Amino acid sequence: MLRFFSEKTVQGVENSGQFARFFAQSLTASARSCLQVKSYSLVWAQMNVIGVHSVPVIMITGAFVGMTLAIQAYDQLAGMGLEEHLGVLINISVVKELGPVLAAVMLAGRVGGALTAELGTMNVTEQIDAVRSMGTDPMRYLVAPRFLACVLLTPFLIIYADLLGILGGFFVSVVQLGINSRAYWQFSAAGVDLWDLSIGVVKGFFFGGAIAAVSCYKGFTCKEGAQGVGQACTEAFVGSFIMILALDFALAVIFKAVYSTIWPTRILLL
Amino acid sequence: MTEQNEQTNNVMLRLDGLTKKFGNKIVLEGISLAIEKGKTTVVIGPSGCGKTVLIKHLIVLLRPTDGSVFLKNKRIDQLPERELDKIRTHYGFLFQGGALFDSLTVFDNIIFPIQQHGRDIGWKELEELVKTKLALVGMDGFQSYYPANLSGGQKKRVALARAIALNPEVILYDEPTTGLDPIRSDIINELILKLQKELGVTTVVVTHDMTSAYKISDRIIMLHNGRIIADGDADHIRNHPNSVVQQFINGQLSENDLAALRLGGTKFQTQFLPRDFE
Repeated sequence: MLRFFSEKTVQGVENSGQFARFFAQSLTASARSCLQVKSYSLVWAQMNVIGVHSVPVIMITGAFVGMTLAIQAYDQLAGMGLEEHLGVLINISVVKELGPVLAAVMLAGRVGGALTAELGTMNVTEQIDAVRSMGTDPMRYLVAPRFLACVLLTPFLIIYADLLGILGGFFVSVVQLGINSRAYWQFSAAGVDLWDLSIGVVKGFFFGGAIAAVSCYKGFTCKEGAQGVGQACTEAFVGSFIMILALDFALAVIFKAVYSTIWPTRILLL
Repeated sequence: MTEQNEQTNNVMLRLDGLTKKFGNKIVLEGISLAIEKGKTTVVIGPSGCGKTVLIKHLIVLLRPTDGSVFLKNKRIDQLPERELDKIRTHYGFLFQGGALFDSLTVFDNIIFPIQQHGRDIGWKELEELVKTKLALVGMDGFQSYYPANLSGGQKKRVALARAIALNPEVILYDEPTTGLDPIRSDIINELILKLQKELGVTTVVVTHDMTSAYKISDRIIMLHNGRIIADGDADHIRNHPNSVVQQFINGQLSENDLAALRLGGTKFQTQFLPRDFE
């Protein structure tokens, strides 16, 4: 029993070290790719696959989040006669928390799974070794474009999720539940700050980086066979999901500290 | 002294006391080997004996646990990956399954190494180059095909065309005839001979196909349990006194194993099982 736990601990530390090294290499390769014009076409192609093709599912996710929030919160607020404040509740939840997190989770499933399966298959069929054997760094050719595409486009996808979340919430609140449209938007505008919107979008850079790093790492370290690829995809999704939640918590703490320190002084800065 | 210098200059690749472990498992143990320029060296041995691990060390796709790897008398196993990327342009590597990029056409697969190394070639010249390389392996006209639309033998031939795209000095073949019928195997053998003759490249082939080994080799090395147990030309190997070598080249189990098999036993005495199986 003790041996089992000690072996698992050693394995866990080894894996963490390997992942940290892989992440550092991804960052270096991505920084180099930014400086090499010939890498742009690779990043562009990945942006199309990762970003453009994800827009519909991200919009659907956002819309349902907004609509569900409206249905759930209406009764409580209406009981207190505060139903016109529904917009604040929906919009602040969507832009600050649910939009970014659920959009990232959706991306972890759609994009993360595909990245791990693609790179995992390339790994077991020796295509990654083939890239290296031809004198090309697989981190630069395979990982950097995917990493950059995820980091750069996740914030934009979050904006889409936020937009549809807001519209979905508005549709249910105003059209279905009959809340006054003017009051709905006025309370929303008063309650949702530029800061709230910004932190939701900024989270996207971190979530995108986590999804790409975990998924590419799992693809590169995938075991042989169909079972190996399947297991790597599952581990990539679970790993990305946990990373998203952990990052969300850490960023909430950091942004709260930053907000209480810097935000009140913004009037002096502007 | 001059003779010794000449011998050293004639060596393209050298392994010095190469040992490779994966965890506690020793795959290669103290391998020392010098591969001559312009010759075809074939490495034979049973499955799981470390042939592929050996060939991957020659191009430093794997790094040794102990020992060193030299290319033209320059130690390469300790170089950082960025420097190795340049060194690897001297090599062509044919992988067991071809390892063609599924998402690229045959044309794009072949221009991949050329584009990656920024060789300044116009599109027309590039098309001509691809045509020449594919013609060398008898695959001209397949430029627009995707790997999924090619047979096993065709994939290997295209992979071979890609391996020679940068005009390498060394070509490494990992089980080039595995999974092919005898006729297609012979096509690959003829191509290996043709490329060695026409391009004057140093060739290292890993295989357990003895027909192929006899046909293409200048020298045969047999690996067994991570060590070299036989080294010489085809005739030397054919007449080797070691029973393990004879069993392997003739593809025969020992009398004891045959008896155990016929009696339904499971405990074979065969020396061809990998060490961790014992």
